Amino acid sequence: MNEKELKSLWQSTNEKLESSLRVNKHNTENITRLKAQYVLVSMRPTKLFALTVGIIWVIGLGSFLGHLIINHLSSVNIFFLVSAIIQIFLTTFTIAVYIYQVDLISKIDFSEPVLAIQEKISKLKISTLNVTRLLFLQIPIWTTFYWNEKMFLAENWLLWIIQGIITISFTYVSLWLFFNIKYDNRNKKWFQLIFRGKEWQSILQSMELLNQIEQYQEIGEDNSPTHFRQA
Amino acid sequence: MRSDKELSEKFQLIILQHKGILFKVALAYCRNDDRQDLIQEMMIQIWISLNKYNDKFSITTWLYRISLNVAISYYRKNANRKVLNNPLIEELASLEDDVSTEKQDQLNLLEKFISELNDLDKAIMLLYLEDKSHAEISEIMGLSVTNVGTKLGRIKEKLKKKFSQMNL
Repeated sequence: MNEKELKSLWQSTNEKLESSLRVNKHNTENITRLKAQYVLVSMRPTKLFALTVGIIWVIGLGSFLGHLIINHLSSVNIFFLVSAIIQIFLTTFTIAVYIYQVDLISKIDFSEPVLAIQEKISKLKISTLNVTRLLFLQIPIWTTFYWNEKMFLAENWLLWIIQGIITISFTYVSLWLFFNIKYDNRNKKWFQLIFRGKEWQSILQSMELLNQIEQYQEIGEDNSPTHFRQA
Repeated sequence: MRSDKELSEKFQLIILQHKGILFKVALAYCRNDDRQDLIQEMMIQIWISLNKYNDKFSITTWLYRISLNVAISYYRKNANRKVLNNPLIEELASLEDDVSTEKQDQLNLLEKFISELNDLDKAIMLLYLEDKSHAEISEIMGLSVTNVGTKLGRIKEKLKKKFSQMNL
């Protein structure tokens, strides 16, 4: 089959396709009423739920800590207070980074050339890994909030050895994950084990696409800028 | 700056005149069941981008960029957006009617071949089959003309092998 026949075969479906399908006019009118709710509606319910819970957590815990600091600072457990403040700071920062990234993705101009836009979207999606890295940084805090001054006074070495092993190993794991969760390690087994769930599918697909884009860019090209032709 | 009414009318007109582009991209990128959702996503992006569209430039290039960008990226996340209550597209007849068996076999093979390509190769192949020149494909994809030629050559070679294996 030559090129002409091939194109003619494909285009034979054009007329058939157009005559067999008709766009519902009422629904296209509905689209023209779409405004700002666009981003919110497009978010997955699970992500929206996680974001809502995160914001409620930050507000709730933040208010509680504020109350403790203002009214009970002298009697409050300092380990709990410091751990909770670090936790709330990291959670707030994580939520802010996530919202910023979703906002950036929503502002992408889809009428730009395909490769440039796909590269931008893929990189932005992959950068949501930073949110996960930040969340992993919280791990050690969950091993320190229950410490108290009495633990230091009593010479309970066994307790301190166990506690030390737990806190140091949690700190090591969280720092290791923080520095190693990145695009370059996408093919490692441990990486694929962590990110194997459905929720990570779009990030993994973005990585795959970025890989394809890189292969495209490797092919010898003159890198001449591409503009719209005048109609 | 156009009024909302003018924009809305322009949108309706673009969709009416160029719906074939959307249908073809949707045909290449997803299964029958999901096609409506994908076309809806494309229309939403066209509506959102319409305000920035400059009449001096080619409308088809603009539409191909949007529909391909949506098909490749947005659709992967399988968005749950349900803006419309009724079907967006009314199916009036079966596509397979009136097509000879041999031609249908060739078409099925071609569609299967396209479905097996990666997202970017699929876009280039689709534009080639739609008889776009290398220069137009280059504008839509954001690749150099030389690069389009190289990629297209490789894809066509694969296709040729496939067809010759099947003696078609």
